[in-house]
Amino acid sequence: MRKLQMQKDHKLLFSTVFIPVHAGDAAVGKSSLSHIFYSGGSLFQKNYNMTAGVELLMKCVNIPETNDTVELYILDSAGKETLAEGCEKMWGEPSLVCLVFDLTNEQSFVNCSGWMERVRTHCQGLRVSGVLVGNKSDLSARREVQASVAKEWAQSQGLEYHETSAKEMENCDAPFLSVARAFYSLYNEHLETVRNLSPG
Amino acid sequence: MSDSSFNSLGVKVVFASSCDENHPPENIMDGNTKTFWTSTGMFPQEFVIRFPEPTRVAAVTVESYNGTKTVVTINSTHCPGSVMKFERTERHLQLNTLSLNGSSAVHLRFVIASGHDHFVSVHRVTVKT
Repeated sequence: MRKLQMQKDHKLLFSTVFIPVHAGDAAVGKSSLSHIFYSGGSLFQKNYNMTAGVELLMKCVNIPETNDTVELYILDSAGKETLAEGCEKMWGEPSLVCLVFDLTNEQSFVNCSGWMERVRTHCQGLRVSGVLVGNKSDLSARREVQASVAKEWAQSQGLEYHETSAKEMENCDAPFLSVARAFYSLYNEHLETVRNLSPG
Repeated sequence: MSDSSFNSLGVKVVFASSCDENHPPENIMDGNTKTFWTSTGMFPQEFVIRFPEPTRVAAVTVESYNGTKTVVTINSTHCPGSVMKFERTERHLQLNTLSLNGSSAVHLRFVIASGHDHFVSVHRVTVKT
Protein backbone atom coordinates (compact mmCIF):
# COMPACT_ATOMS: atom_id res chain seq x y z
CA MET A 1 0.00 0.00 0.00
CA ARG A 2 0.93 3.63 -0.19
CA LYS A 3 2.97 4.85 2.70
CA LEU A 4 3.64 8.52 2.94
CA GLN A 5 6.35 10.60 4.50
CA MET A 6 4.81 13.97 5.10
CA GLN A 7 6.36 17.35 5.30
CA LYS A 8 4.50 19.91 7.30
CA ASP A 9 1.43 21.16 5.51
CA HIS A 10 2.16 18.89 2.63
CA LYS A 11 -0.51 16.84 0.97
CA LEU A 12 -0.11 14.09 -1.55
CA LEU A 13 -3.14 13.23 -3.66
CA PHE A 14 -3.41 10.24 -5.96
CA SER A 15 -5.14 10.16 -9.26
CA THR A 16 -5.44 7.96 -12.28
CA VAL A 17 -5.39 9.67 -15.64
CA PHE A 18 -6.75 7.75 -18.53
CA ILE A 19 -5.43 8.38 -22.05
CA PRO A 20 -7.30 6.29 -24.57
CA VAL A 21 -6.26 6.03 -28.18
CA HIS A 22 -8.07 4.52 -31.14
CA ALA A 23 -6.46 1.71 -33.04
CA GLY A 24 -6.94 3.64 -36.24
CA ASP A 25 -5.59 6.81 -34.69
CA ALA A 26 -2.37 5.36 -33.46
CA ALA A 27 -0.41 8.22 -34.93
CA VAL A 28 -2.04 11.06 -33.02
CA GLY A 29 0.99 11.15 -30.77
CA LYS A 30 -0.41 10.62 -27.34
CA SER A 31 2.28 8.12 -26.44
CA SER A 32 5.04 10.52 -27.36
CA LEU A 33 3.18 13.19 -25.38
CA SER A 34 2.99 11.16 -22.21
CA HIS A 35 6.59 10.00 -22.61
CA ILE A 36 7.91 13.52 -22.99
CA PHE A 37 5.94 14.59 -19.98
CA TYR A 38 7.22 11.61 -18.09
CA SER A 39 10.87 11.93 -18.99
CA GLY A 40 10.98 15.71 -18.89
CA GLY A 41 10.65 15.80 -15.12
CA SER A 42 13.22 14.82 -12.57
CA LEU A 43 11.07 12.86 -10.18
CA PHE A 44 10.23 9.21 -10.31
CA GLN A 45 11.63 6.48 -12.49
CA LYS A 46 8.92 3.90 -12.47
CA ASN A 47 7.80 2.34 -15.65
CA TYR A 48 5.77 -0.73 -16.35
CA ASN A 49 5.05 -2.20 -19.72
CA MET A 50 1.93 -4.20 -19.28
CA THR A 51 1.47 -7.05 -21.68
CA ALA A 52 -2.12 -6.40 -22.67
CA GLY A 53 -1.65 -3.04 -24.26
CA VAL A 54 -2.03 -0.70 -21.30
CA GLU A 55 1.01 1.20 -20.17
CA LEU A 56 1.30 2.78 -16.77
CA LEU A 57 3.44 5.84 -16.19
CA MET A 58 3.66 7.55 -12.85
CA LYS A 59 4.45 11.19 -12.32
CA CYS A 60 4.25 13.69 -9.50
CA VAL A 61 2.98 17.18 -10.24
CA ASN A 62 3.41 19.98 -7.73
CA ILE A 63 0.45 22.31 -7.58
CA PRO A 64 1.82 25.85 -7.97
CA GLU A 65 1.58 28.13 -4.95
CA THR A 66 0.84 25.24 -2.58
CA ASN A 67 2.92 22.58 -0.85
CA ASP A 68 0.72 19.93 -2.36
CA THR A 69 1.49 17.29 -4.90
CA VAL A 70 -0.72 15.19 -7.11
CA GLU A 71 0.70 11.82 -8.08
CA LEU A 72 -0.66 10.93 -11.50
CA TYR A 73 -0.93 7.31 -12.60
CA ILE A 74 -1.13 7.70 -16.33
CA LEU A 75 -2.82 4.79 -18.07
CA ASP A 76 -1.90 4.77 -21.69
CA SER A 77 -4.41 2.48 -23.31
CA ALA A 78 -3.48 1.37 -26.80
CA GLY A 79 -4.58 -1.18 -29.40
CA LYS A 80 -8.25 -0.84 -28.62
CA GLU A 81 -9.62 -2.97 -31.44
CA THR A 82 -7.39 -5.96 -30.93
CA LEU A 83 -7.28 -5.99 -27.14
CA ALA A 84 -10.46 -4.17 -26.24
CA GLU A 85 -11.67 -6.57 -23.56
CA GLY A 86 -8.35 -6.81 -21.77
CA CYS A 87 -7.70 -3.10 -21.92
CA GLU A 88 -11.12 -2.07 -20.70
CA LYS A 89 -10.72 -4.24 -17.62
CA MET A 90 -7.59 -2.32 -16.74
CA TRP A 91 -9.24 1.04 -16.98
CA GLY A 92 -10.92 0.59 -13.65
CA GLU A 93 -12.64 3.81 -12.74
CA PRO A 94 -10.36 6.54 -13.99
CA SER A 95 -10.44 9.79 -12.03
CA LEU A 96 -9.47 11.98 -14.94
CA VAL A 97 -9.28 11.71 -18.67
CA CYS A 98 -6.82 13.10 -21.20
CA LEU A 99 -8.16 12.80 -24.74
CA VAL A 100 -5.55 13.33 -27.43
CA PHE A 101 -6.32 13.94 -31.07
CA ASP A 102 -4.30 14.88 -34.14
CA LEU A 103 -4.86 18.47 -35.27
CA THR A 104 -4.10 17.35 -38.84
CA ASN A 105 -6.72 14.59 -38.80
CA GLU A 106 -10.33 15.64 -38.35
CA GLN A 107 -11.56 12.07 -37.86
CA SER A 108 -9.39 11.71 -34.76
CA PHE A 109 -11.18 14.74 -33.29
CA VAL A 110 -14.64 13.40 -34.23
CA ASN A 111 -13.78 10.10 -32.52
CA CYS A 112 -13.24 11.92 -29.22
CA SER A 113 -16.95 12.05 -28.42
CA GLY A 114 -17.20 8.25 -28.67
CA TRP A 115 -14.29 7.98 -26.29
CA MET A 116 -15.82 10.40 -23.87
CA GLU A 117 -18.95 8.24 -23.78
CA ARG A 118 -16.97 5.09 -23.11
CA VAL A 119 -15.10 6.80 -20.30
CA ARG A 120 -18.37 8.05 -18.79
CA THR A 121 -19.73 4.49 -18.80
CA HIS A 122 -16.68 3.35 -16.87
CA CYS A 123 -16.91 6.13 -14.35
CA GLN A 124 -20.38 5.04 -13.23
CA GLY A 125 -21.79 8.42 -12.42
CA LEU A 126 -18.56 9.98 -11.15
CA ARG A 127 -17.94 13.43 -12.52
CA VAL A 128 -15.44 13.15 -15.35
CA SER A 129 -13.01 15.99 -15.70
CA GLY A 130 -9.77 16.35 -17.55
CA VAL A 131 -8.28 17.71 -20.74
CA LEU A 132 -8.64 17.59 -24.49
CA VAL A 133 -5.30 17.83 -26.26
CA GLY A 134 -4.82 18.74 -29.90
CA ASN A 135 -1.39 17.43 -30.81
CA LYS A 136 0.94 18.17 -33.73
CA SER A 137 0.50 21.94 -33.52
CA ASP A 138 3.84 22.19 -35.38
CA LEU A 139 2.19 21.01 -38.62
CA SER A 140 0.23 24.24 -39.10
CA ALA A 141 -0.06 23.90 -42.89
CA ARG A 142 -1.89 20.59 -42.51
CA ARG A 143 -4.22 21.64 -39.73
CA GLU A 144 -7.79 20.31 -40.15
CA VAL A 145 -9.27 21.18 -36.75
CA GLN A 146 -9.62 24.80 -35.68
CA ALA A 147 -8.73 25.66 -32.10
CA SER A 148 -12.06 27.44 -31.55
CA VAL A 149 -14.08 24.35 -32.57
CA ALA A 150 -12.04 22.03 -30.37
CA LYS A 151 -12.19 24.44 -27.47
CA GLU A 152 -15.96 24.75 -27.69
CA TRP A 153 -16.46 20.98 -27.69
CA ALA A 154 -14.02 20.59 -24.79
CA GLN A 155 -15.95 23.13 -22.71
CA SER A 156 -19.24 21.38 -23.45
CA GLN A 157 -17.69 18.19 -22.00
CA GLY A 158 -16.18 19.86 -18.95
CA LEU A 159 -12.65 19.50 -20.30
CA GLU A 160 -9.88 22.06 -20.61
CA TYR A 161 -8.35 22.47 -24.05
CA HIS A 162 -4.63 22.47 -24.86
CA GLU A 163 -2.59 22.33 -28.02
CA THR A 164 0.80 20.69 -28.01
CA SER A 165 3.60 19.59 -30.24
CA ALA A 166 5.17 16.45 -28.88
CA LYS A 167 7.68 16.59 -31.73
CA GLU A 168 8.87 20.08 -30.85
CA MET A 169 8.31 19.35 -27.15
CA GLU A 170 6.08 22.39 -26.94
CA ASN A 171 3.60 22.81 -24.15
CA CYS A 172 3.66 19.10 -23.27
CA ASP A 173 3.58 19.72 -19.52
CA ALA A 174 0.49 21.92 -19.70
CA PRO A 175 -2.18 19.21 -20.14
CA PHE A 176 -0.85 17.22 -17.20
CA LEU A 177 -0.53 20.25 -14.98
CA SER A 178 -4.09 21.00 -15.95
CA VAL A 179 -5.42 17.53 -14.97
CA ALA A 180 -3.49 17.71 -11.71
CA ARG A 181 -5.09 21.07 -10.95
CA ALA A 182 -8.51 19.68 -11.86
CA PHE A 183 -8.03 16.81 -9.43
CA TYR A 184 -6.77 19.17 -6.75
CA SER A 185 -9.88 21.31 -7.04
CA LEU A 186 -12.10 18.21 -6.87
CA TYR A 187 -10.36 17.36 -3.61
CA ASN A 188 -10.92 20.83 -2.19
CA GLU A 189 -14.58 20.70 -3.21
CA HIS A 190 -14.87 17.36 -1.45
CA LEU A 191 -13.37 18.79 1.75
CA GLU A 192 -15.77 21.71 1.62
CA THR A 193 -18.76 19.37 1.23
CA VAL A 194 -17.61 17.08 4.01
CA ARG A 195 -17.04 19.97 6.44
CA ASN A 196 -20.68 20.99 5.99
CA LEU A 197 -22.32 17.60 6.52
CA SER A 198 -24.95 16.97 9.13
CA PRO A 199 -24.90 13.82 11.28
CA GLY A 200 -26.50 10.69 9.81
CA MET B 1 -23.63 -4.74 26.14
CA SER B 2 -21.88 -1.44 26.12
CA ASP B 3 -21.52 1.14 23.43
CA SER B 4 -18.31 3.05 23.26
CA SER B 5 -16.02 4.67 20.80
CA PHE B 6 -12.83 2.77 20.09
CA ASN B 7 -10.77 5.43 21.71
CA SER B 8 -12.16 4.75 25.15
CA LEU B 9 -11.35 1.05 24.71
CA GLY B 10 -7.75 2.00 23.93
CA VAL B 11 -8.17 1.10 20.30
CA LYS B 12 -5.92 2.72 17.72
CA VAL B 13 -5.92 3.15 13.98
CA VAL B 14 -2.69 1.38 13.02
CA PHE B 15 -2.89 1.71 9.27
CA ALA B 16 -4.57 3.98 6.75
CA SER B 17 -4.05 4.10 3.00
CA SER B 18 -4.24 7.91 2.74
CA CYS B 19 -3.02 10.74 4.86
CA ASP B 20 -3.84 14.40 4.64
CA GLU B 21 -2.26 15.73 7.81
CA ASN B 22 -5.19 18.10 8.28
CA HIS B 23 -7.54 15.11 8.36
CA PRO B 24 -5.49 12.27 9.89
CA PRO B 25 -6.67 8.68 10.55
CA GLU B 26 -6.85 9.37 14.31
CA ASN B 27 -10.00 11.36 13.59
CA ILE B 28 -11.84 8.09 12.92
CA MET B 29 -11.78 7.13 16.59
CA ASP B 30 -11.90 10.46 18.38
CA GLY B 31 -15.65 10.05 18.90
CA ASN B 32 -16.40 13.28 17.04
CA THR B 33 -18.27 13.27 13.72
CA LYS B 34 -17.11 16.82 12.94
CA THR B 35 -13.56 15.55 12.48
CA PHE B 36 -12.80 13.00 9.80
CA TRP B 37 -10.24 11.00 7.90
CA THR B 38 -10.40 11.43 4.14
CA SER B 39 -9.00 9.45 1.26
CA THR B 40 -6.72 11.40 -1.08
CA GLY B 41 -7.58 9.56 -4.26
CA MET B 42 -8.05 6.19 -5.93
CA PHE B 43 -9.68 3.03 -4.69
CA PRO B 44 -9.59 0.75 -2.80
CA GLN B 45 -8.88 2.63 0.41
CA GLU B 46 -8.44 0.96 3.75
CA PHE B 47 -7.77 1.40 7.42
CA VAL B 48 -6.99 -1.07 10.18
CA ILE B 49 -7.76 -0.65 13.87
CA ARG B 50 -6.22 -2.61 16.73
CA PHE B 51 -7.68 -3.49 20.12
CA PRO B 52 -5.23 -3.65 23.03
CA GLU B 53 -6.39 -7.21 23.71
CA PRO B 54 -8.75 -9.75 22.08
CA THR B 55 -12.23 -8.28 22.38
CA ARG B 56 -15.63 -9.78 21.66
CA VAL B 57 -17.34 -7.44 19.25
CA ALA B 58 -21.12 -7.49 18.90
CA ALA B 59 -21.36 -4.84 16.22
CA VAL B 60 -19.46 -2.06 14.57
CA THR B 61 -20.93 1.22 13.31
CA VAL B 62 -19.33 3.34 10.59
CA GLU B 63 -20.23 6.98 9.94
CA SER B 64 -18.91 7.99 6.57
CA TYR B 65 -19.52 9.95 3.39
CA ASN B 66 -19.40 8.84 -0.27
CA GLY B 67 -18.48 5.23 0.50
CA THR B 68 -20.16 2.39 -1.40
CA LYS B 69 -19.05 -1.15 -0.66
CA THR B 70 -16.85 -1.72 2.39
CA VAL B 71 -15.45 -5.10 3.41
CA VAL B 72 -14.75 -5.66 7.10
CA THR B 73 -12.29 -8.42 7.97
CA ILE B 74 -11.55 -9.67 11.46
CA ASN B 75 -7.92 -10.36 12.45
CA SER B 76 -6.60 -12.14 9.38
CA THR B 77 -6.77 -11.07 5.79
CA HIS B 78 -7.33 -14.74 4.93
CA CYS B 79 -10.74 -14.81 6.59
CA PRO B 80 -13.66 -13.95 4.35
CA GLY B 81 -14.84 -10.44 5.09
CA SER B 82 -18.32 -9.16 5.80
CA VAL B 83 -19.66 -6.72 3.28
CA MET B 84 -21.30 -3.42 4.23
CA LYS B 85 -23.20 -1.64 1.48
CA PHE B 86 -23.51 2.12 1.91
CA GLU B 87 -26.34 4.05 0.33
CA ARG B 88 -25.60 7.39 -1.26
CA THR B 89 -26.48 10.37 0.93
CA GLU B 90 -26.65 14.09 0.23
CA ARG B 91 -25.54 16.63 2.81
CA HIS B 92 -25.54 14.17 5.68
CA LEU B 93 -23.42 11.26 6.87
CA GLN B 94 -23.91 7.62 5.98
CA LEU B 95 -24.64 5.60 9.10
CA ASN B 96 -24.22 1.84 8.85
CA THR B 97 -23.94 -0.93 11.41
CA LEU B 98 -22.50 -4.40 10.88
CA SER B 99 -23.27 -7.20 13.30
CA LEU B 100 -20.20 -9.28 14.18
CA ASN B 101 -21.99 -11.69 16.57
CA GLY B 102 -19.46 -11.46 19.38
CA SER B 103 -16.48 -12.50 17.27
CA SER B 104 -13.18 -12.13 19.07
CA ALA B 105 -11.11 -9.44 17.42
CA VAL B 106 -7.65 -7.94 17.77
CA HIS B 107 -7.62 -6.24 14.40
CA LEU B 108 -10.48 -5.01 12.26
CA ARG B 109 -9.68 -4.14 8.69
CA PHE B 110 -12.02 -1.92 6.65
CA VAL B 111 -11.54 -1.92 2.90
CA ILE B 112 -13.56 0.70 1.06
CA ALA B 113 -13.80 -0.80 -2.40
CA SER B 114 -15.26 2.20 -4.17
CA GLY B 115 -16.99 5.52 -3.70
CA HIS B 116 -19.88 7.60 -4.94
CA ASP B 117 -17.26 10.24 -5.73
CA HIS B 118 -13.49 10.39 -6.17
CA PHE B 119 -12.95 10.72 -2.42
CA VAL B 120 -14.48 9.20 0.71
CA SER B 121 -14.37 10.30 4.33
CA VAL B 122 -14.81 8.33 7.54
CA HIS B 123 -15.99 10.39 10.50
CA ARG B 124 -16.47 7.93 13.33
CA VAL B 125 -16.27 4.23 14.02
CA THR B 126 -18.06 2.92 17.08
CA VAL B 127 -17.98 -0.56 18.54
CA LYS B 128 -20.49 -2.49 20.60
CA THR B 129 -18.84 -5.08 22.86
